[in-house]
Amino acid sequence: MLLEIKGLTKRFPGVLALEGVDFTAEAGEVHALVGANGAGKSTLMNLLSGVFRPTEGEIAIDGKSVQLSSPGVAVSCGVSTVYQEFSSIPQLTVAQNIFLGREPCGKSGILSHKKMCADARAILDKYNLGLDETSLVEELSVANLQLVEIARALSVESRILILDEPTAVLSLPEQENLFRIIEQLKQQGMLILYVSHRMEEIFSISDRVTVLRDGRKIDTVRTADISPADIIRMMIGHDIIQSSGLAAAAGGEPILEVKFKDSRRGFKVIKGEILGVAGLVGAGRTRLARKLIGLEGNDEMDIILHGKKVNPGSPQDAIQHGIVYLTENRKYDGLFANLSVLKNTTASALERFSSFGFLQQKNEREAGTEILDRLHLVASSVDVPINELSGGNQQKAIFGRALLCNPSVLICDEPTRGVDVGAKEEIYQLLVGLAEQGVAIIFISSEMKELFAAAHRLLVLHEGDIVEDLPTDQLTEEKVLQAATGTLN
Amino acid sequence: MSDRMGAEIDGVQTKIWRWASSNAIWVVLALLFAIAALLSDAFLRPVYIFNVVRQAAPVGIAAIGVTLVMILGGVDLSVGAVISLTAVLTAVLMDGQVANIPLAVTVALAAGACIGGINGTLIAYNRISPFILTLGMAVVVTGMTQIYSGGTARGIVSPGFREFFNYRIGGIVPVLALTFLGLALLGVRLQQTTKFCRNLYLIGSNPQAAELSGLPVKRITIFAYALSGLMGAMAGIALLARSGVSSTFAGRGLEFDVLAAVILGGTTFQGGRGGIGGTIAAVFVLLIAFNLVNIVGLDYNAQLIVKGAIIIIASSAYIYFKKVR
Repeated sequence: MLLEIKGLTKRFPGVLALEGVDFTAEAGEVHALVGANGAGKSTLMNLLSGVFRPTEGEIAIDGKSVQLSSPGVAVSCGVSTVYQEFSSIPQLTVAQNIFLGREPCGKSGILSHKKMCADARAILDKYNLGLDETSLVEELSVANLQLVEIARALSVESRILILDEPTAVLSLPEQENLFRIIEQLKQQGMLILYVSHRMEEIFSISDRVTVLRDGRKIDTVRTADISPADIIRMMIGHDIIQSSGLAAAAGGEPILEVKFKDSRRGFKVIKGEILGVAGLVGAGRTRLARKLIGLEGNDEMDIILHGKKVNPGSPQDAIQHGIVYLTENRKYDGLFANLSVLKNTTASALERFSSFGFLQQKNEREAGTEILDRLHLVASSVDVPINELSGGNQQKAIFGRALLCNPSVLICDEPTRGVDVGAKEEIYQLLVGLAEQGVAIIFISSEMKELFAAAHRLLVLHEGDIVEDLPTDQLTEEKVLQAATGTLN
Repeated sequence: MSDRMGAEIDGVQTKIWRWASSNAIWVVLALLFAIAALLSDAFLRPVYIFNVVRQAAPVGIAAIGVTLVMILGGVDLSVGAVISLTAVLTAVLMDGQVANIPLAVTVALAAGACIGGINGTLIAYNRISPFILTLGMAVVVTGMTQIYSGGTARGIVSPGFREFFNYRIGGIVPVLALTFLGLALLGVRLQQTTKFCRNLYLIGSNPQAAELSGLPVKRITIFAYALSGLMGAMAGIALLARSGVSSTFAGRGLEFDVLAAVILGGTTFQGGRGGIGGTIAAVFVLLIAFNLVNIVGLDYNAQLIVKGAIIIIASSAYIYFKKVR
């Protein structure tokens, strides 16, 4: 057995990302790893490539237990990884990138450019990668960039190659080329761990599939013995909740309507309704939100608010129309980390608290404190820097910022990410309460359970397109996952 | 609940650190002043003290503007060149006539604001690095100054102009020193009370979040740089009032004194923190340090070494403070 994993567990503060996973894979096999968002695929991959260290459990290669304590150690144990985000250096040549950090030297310690090019050529020829070793990486297409990464992995005599969603960036012919290469590597006795959620690919190239869910291994099966529907069932679990969703809001007036000009499906958000948006990572959910607030170009759609076309040109414009977006990435574009909770809360509504350019600080403090009390924010004072609060309380302050804008449409992108269970529950209640007050809510989430618990309608995105738009009570988790993975008939 | 308890347990300690890291410069100023007073009793004479304040006026006034830009997360290296330009411009337009003073001052202020506005517009719309852009602008403005003046100090200051600014109220406080202190106090006050200044802190703290929160990032950026240019022009006029001579290189190198004061005062390149109060304190720290070196008897070159060393030590100390927290 080439790779053997026993009882692998990874615990992060507050989260059990992987729990007692056992798993074996052989040389000359393409082994697919599948699971919904947050199932533990990435954690498992990062443990194998030495990025994380396991909390418990053992990894054995060729029957010998190994400690993959860093990416370098993993590579020297024969495990190479090609990530979704490439790590090549654009200004260098293909050959220089392949041997990055391991450049062949002469006795005097001076680089041997000739030997490096020759070695690179040998690798590219051996695997028919069809690249010129002297071309600059910045001039390559994305598909060829990926081949450079694969060549780098092959140049270290890897025995295990991990590919993370390798086709996400490829066109169809490029995909076929990649599959040809994978087939060749397999013939040469390499183990390929193929992380993906695209059913067609898994069925066209993998020999066996291991399904993960909630950090646990569900099963490993031969691909030939199973159907896509079976895999999806394993991904969601057997406790499928049938039609547990809320009933659709009773025929209110549409507040927001989005129509795509090229006749693709549009969607509506009705007054008092929570519209859930589901989809896998990269399906275009955040992108849709960014278009709605004018952070990205939205020429291809008509954004109609209260019956009037608005198409905001900037977030400032969107907020003035009452369309407010709550970011999925608090640290990056949500928090003013070193400033006080109060200043964070009132940031979008300063206009309201000022006259002739001067802030009316008493009004500001009263309004800010009131909204934060309503949200049950816990802090020793509203004047402490916001980065001293817990994730849940930070999120509440950002909710407060949005609410002070008096939104008519509130777009929440993963509002419960990095938030403890108690605060999560409060956030759901808040959303439901706001909807009852007539705020149209767009609720983007990767957690199927919370979508079914809080949304009236669900929009499912797949590769940027809306593939499903139904009241939650007419949907099942299974159906949503089928739509999200593009296997809905 | 856990937040509240946690905050109270380490509350006292964090409060001390917070106070120390935002007010350290005042402690340093007090210490330095005490040392200076021990070494030379000149530092206890009001006339001498206000002399120091008057001496600080050009750099101090310019530093107020640059502080605003740096709170925003930018920098303005063109301020030295703006000082030179506006000093020459004012002197030439005055042409020795009292009647020309209003015109000369207005044109100089407009020129400063205009250069700053161009800086701000290019930074807001083209996302050029403020460092490179304002450095380039400094070179352009220096060239313009040379062409305009013909390379010689040819302006003649109006009679009464110098005398007015250097007149000592009550025999002690020069008008120029008072003007500088007035601008500083006004700056500190506006920094706490205006929407504009709040926006500066928000944008400097996290520009992406500021955009997403709907703040007018571009408008604020342009306005902040324009203000920095305007304050640079005031500094140029102050320099002219102090020295009375319009050398074409009057402001040369002053941008580094300004930058040193702003950074030492706690407004770092990071943006979103610091303020005018700290900058003013730092201006005096640097000035007293140089005067001390002078009194001790070191020459100009030795002063340069001390100046650089103070900047390096202060910046390291700031990083250290941050790590400890």
